[in-house]
Amino acid sequence: MDHKSVFRATIGVLAVACMGFSAAVRGDETCNSPYIAKLIKGQEDYVYVWTLGVEGLGDGSDKLVTVDVNPKSKSYGKVVHSVSTGMRAEAHHMGFTDDRRQIWAGGLAESRIWVFDIATNPAKPKLVQTIDDLSDKSGYLGPHTYYALPGRMLVQALSNTKDKGGVTGMALYNNKGKYLDSYAMPTEGGGDGYGYDLAVNPKKNVLLTSSFTGYANYMRPLGELIQDGEAMKKFGNTMVLWDLKAIKPRKVLAVPGAPLEIRWSLNPKDNWAITATALTSKLWLVKQDGKGEWMAKEVGTIADPSKTPLPVDISITRDGKGLWVNTFMDGKTRYFDLSNPEAPKQTYEKSTGKQVNMISQSWDGKRVYITSSLLANWDKGGADNEQFLRGFAWNGKELAQKFEVDFTKEKLGRAHHMKLGSKALRYSASGG
Amino acid sequence: MSSPRGIRRAARALSLLAALACAASAGAHQSEPIAEPDFLPPAPGTYVLHRIMAAPEGRVLGIDGRSQPLSRYTRGQITLLGFIYTTCTDPQGCPLAYRVFDALKDAIAATPALHGKVQFVTLSFDPERDAPEVMRRYAGSRAVEKDGGLRWYFLTTRSARELMPLVEGFGQDIQITYDRSTGHPRRELSHVLKVFLIDDAGDIREIYSSMFLYPRLVLNDIDTLLMEKDLTQSRAPVQK
Repeated sequence: MDHKSVFRATIGVLAVACMGFSAAVRGDETCNSPYIAKLIKGQEDYVYVWTLGVEGLGDGSDKLVTVDVNPKSKSYGKVVHSVSTGMRAEAHHMGFTDDRRQIWAGGLAESRIWVFDIATNPAKPKLVQTIDDLSDKSGYLGPHTYYALPGRMLVQALSNTKDKGGVTGMALYNNKGKYLDSYAMPTEGGGDGYGYDLAVNPKKNVLLTSSFTGYANYMRPLGELIQDGEAMKKFGNTMVLWDLKAIKPRKVLAVPGAPLEIRWSLNPKDNWAITATALTSKLWLVKQDGKGEWMAKEVGTIADPSKTPLPVDISITRDGKGLWVNTFMDGKTRYFDLSNPEAPKQTYEKSTGKQVNMISQSWDGKRVYITSSLLANWDKGGADNEQFLRGFAWNGKELAQKFEVDFTKEKLGRAHHMKLGSKALRYSASGG
Repeated sequence: MSSPRGIRRAARALSLLAALACAASAGAHQSEPIAEPDFLPPAPGTYVLHRIMAAPEGRVLGIDGRSQPLSRYTRGQITLLGFIYTTCTDPQGCPLAYRVFDALKDAIAATPALHGKVQFVTLSFDPERDAPEVMRRYAGSRAVEKDGGLRWYFLTTRSARELMPLVEGFGQDIQITYDRSTGHPRRELSHVLKVFLIDDAGDIREIYSSMFLYPRLVLNDIDTLLMEKDLTQSRAPVQK
């Protein structure tokens, strides 16, 4: 079929209707950039798992693993594909480009970014590009968050190449991987210079960032780190509100205890964001006060902070009324009622693993996916070092496990960040 | 602000303020008023518009049916370019872009400092349906340049073969979906609304989604590009 025929076949035969994905879209299935418009509102087919390589296990390299999660599929709950990077770089997070044709993924031990094509064959992502100039162009190390802007990707790093501490910044690339600019996290006006996650609210022209720690800390064994009083002081205690259009810091907000993932409410009527602090185990709300000034306030407690449960990931429901929280140390998944975001109320908890890290949910909230690995040197040892992807069904009252992929048994590695995929998002340059 | 360049900036800023009032007025003539942003945008010239990428090149057809390189319509002036198809009805898609372009057209016409510096391009991504004659009807009186106004080009392509490199080059993808809700599968063509701001050298400097497609922001960006050009020219060595 030639170019013209393909195009005719795709758009010329039946009545053509138009759907301009747009302002109604405020988020993705599991809290992605609002500029990613191709939502999977039905049953997802795949979970992509960005996986840390483990020496002596399989090829020992970081890899992107595709797991079939469609219950109607013969390979439901099975690994259907994996693509290796050929090296071990502390694989951590990833993000879609705004057209959802590519996943950008990185490792915290390096400044390299891997770009995978997920549109040509959603079941079999293909490594199509590596971006190696982050440290040379920006001086930043450990790319963490990949946040789509129209035609561009804003990358939040965790560290820097100079002293491998926590003072860092963001780098802006175009979708073809060309470096455009970088932005230092503020170190004045109360800023500590640290970075972690970023998330935007275009309605208010604001970009919000959070803060963690640098390479020197996150690459150390956890048991050793927590005994080092000086090192434990080197964690972020701030969030920063930026002018999104200009990408300039507007206000530093004091949020002590390493605020990590940021979730803006997906309800179009809302303009607040929530985060969890890893070290102090609190929920913090970021909102405007009665005068329109942005502020951060502590609104809840997660488990018993004295036991350092380490909340590591949160996932907000599409209506902004509920929040999943995973705590790494006790291996629990908790659900908070966010009907009143000023007073989140825990309504459910379940042990979902001996160690749990990331949590993602489907758009309708009926399916929840959980992985196990936090950082290679922070994961538990021995029998507690479970490495898995577990899929659950959520009926509003109970999480029921439906499948598990044992990442050690499958010789894959440590299961970390997840993104959802769909056969329907297959795309070819010939028109559909 | 007393230098000639400063005076030009001040004059342009004042003109734009007046023009925005015109834009709001123009919007009032439409079926639905154009929303104002729920924030105070940064002032022109206080931020950077990156050279995101070069606008792609390819052959296009004007409403006269003549084939020309796209660059014929995207160089020499600041260009605002949007993809549409004439059968699009989603209020947050092509019609929104059309209304914003309309408002901007009136605002620019009311701002002498912008005359001859800005042009619009509306490019169809449905060559099967949107032949030059269809685009001519779609354009109506908009394609006719008025005194002090701007040129608004309504373009299409001869075929998918000519279109797709442009669509790909701009990163303006198209998605085919099936609506099965009625029991009678219906194929739908969908797209993420994007509007591109291109500088006079042909580089894409901003990409607006529907969430950021406000006349005020676009005018600020146009002014930012003009200020950048003023600065470049003032720094250029004097030719002897």
